[in-house]
Amino acid sequence: MYNDEVMDRYQNPAKNGKMEDFEIKIDEASSTCGDRVVLYIKTDGNGRISNMMWQGEGCILSVVSTDIFCENAIGKEINSLRGQDDLAFVENFPIKISPGRINCVMLPLRAFRRGTKEK
Amino acid sequence: MISDFCKKEDFPIFKKKFNGKSMVYLDSTATTQKPKQVLDAIVNYYEGSNANVHRSVYKLADDATELYENSRSNVAEFIGARSNEIVFTRNTTESLNLLSFTIGESLRKGDRILITSMEHHSNILPWMRLEERGIYLDYVGFDKEGHLDIEDLKSKLKRETKIVSVTHQSNVLGTINPIEEIGKAAKENGSTFIIDAAQSVPHMPFKMKEQYDFVAFSGHKMLGPMGIGVLYGKYHLLEEMPPFNRGGEMIKDVDFHSAIFEDPPIKFEAGTPNVEGAVGLAAAVYYLKKIGMEEVRRHEKHLTSMTLKKLEDLKNVKYYGPRNAEERGGVIAFNVEDSSNLKNDLESKNVKVDRLYHSHDIATFLDERNVYVRSGHHCAEPLMRSLHLPGTARASFYVYNGEEDVEAFVSSLGEL
Ligand SMILES: Cc1ncc(COP(=O)(O)O)c(C=O)c1O
Repeated sequence: MYNDEVMDRYQNPAKNGKMEDFEIKIDEASSTCGDRVVLYIKTDGNGRISNMMWQGEGCILSVVSTDIFCENAIGKEINSLRGQDDLAFVENFPIKISPGRINCVMLPLRAFRRGTKEK
Repeated sequence: MISDFCKKEDFPIFKKKFNGKSMVYLDSTATTQKPKQVLDAIVNYYEGSNANVHRSVYKLADDATELYENSRSNVAEFIGARSNEIVFTRNTTESLNLLSFTIGESLRKGDRILITSMEHHSNILPWMRLEERGIYLDYVGFDKEGHLDIEDLKSKLKRETKIVSVTHQSNVLGTINPIEEIGKAAKENGSTFIIDAAQSVPHMPFKMKEQYDFVAFSGHKMLGPMGIGVLYGKYHLLEEMPPFNRGGEMIKDVDFHSAIFEDPPIKFEAGTPNVEGAVGLAAAVYYLKKIGMEEVRRHEKHLTSMTLKKLEDLKNVKYYGPRNAEERGGVIAFNVEDSSNLKNDLESKNVKVDRLYHSHDIATFLDERNVYVRSGHHCAEPLMRSLHLPGTARASFYVYNGEEDVEAFVSSLGEL
């Protein structure tokens, strides 16, 4: 299914797991899909992300997108991550996404934006 | 092919190629494709008879009114009703909302409404809104194979149960519910009996019975166009009900501070109606009648039992609903087990996970093979909760599907 890059990450995610010393925890559920993802975020104190992990369940695309999101976030500023362009975000995903599946790929970015609103 | 009267060639959309290949359309539960006969009827209406109905006195307007009213009679005859008992709406959802905002409004605090756990959202939400007024919504459960629990239903029929509203055929489990029996029990209890027939009128012979007070269905799920739906109601009940929407068309007389409403069914058809929709639906009914509804049912049952048999050979596929095709319609919800490492790993860490592919992933996988199935919760979240599932994939059949579609579906699924 999909391609090797996607499936490899799905089977061996880099950032899947619980973080104990998180500063921000974001609980995102999409009842329409049954997806449920928790993001754990730790910062360097200056608005930069020092680590991000996730736990949860979802379709392959949302899980892989979340894992990539967590990995790419490290060292970035919260505000610049929030400000990413949706279209570019979807286009940067390793495979081409059909319109019906955009929400799956968008899951981590939407969760992140919602959970870091007041920061 | 189903019969001499139905050919895939009648459906122009099947000429379309996707990446050079024909599509295998298995989502008729969501909406059906349209035969040329229906499309032609719509074009002919606009080219030959278009005018507003019930209003003007010139010939063209008479033509349009006649076509509209004939469509009503054809739909009425199709389900064994009289034409003044057929209200045209937009779809099943609007038909059920019409009931909620008319007979639903007449319920009082402490009254109860009985539905089932296998309803589509459109037969849940119109009733749930009444809970704010102290009206109770009760749900009938179902067994492991998806048969409605009739004993549970009977025990939940209380003196306060004023409305019983049940789907004739589940759009997920495929279960065909014994509506005659349920209707009898409802009437003995003095309740109003409503049938969501969105998945039955299109797929099997439907005979009107004394115990049926209201029946709702959608044109687009039976080869007709989108935007036209039907509410059948017993005439005397329609007469007693207040109007739903108000405005042009639905009145006999309007004064500054009072109005006299038209008789049913026009009382419930405020504003310019969907004449093209009614005409298209009548053409669809004509098309189905030529095939014969017994034949439609036989054909779908054949494709269903063929599919179930093949799915049982695929060890990683699990389907829901009755095993016996006799007890179900041509809709098959299923999931596929996922044996990938991530989840195994989680399990070894004692994290409980259901090892199923997400239904969207299944649907995308099949989409890449031009097999179109639906995925998700199918607008029946309480049902999904009862099954403890986030969703399923779903394949469904109609008159234009053939054994070749079943083969393509099952062999694609086998590659997963
Ligand atoms: C059983 C059932 N009821 C109601 C509906 C709602 O139909 P519509 O969207 O045409 O109003 C559907 C459609 O999926 C259905 O399957």
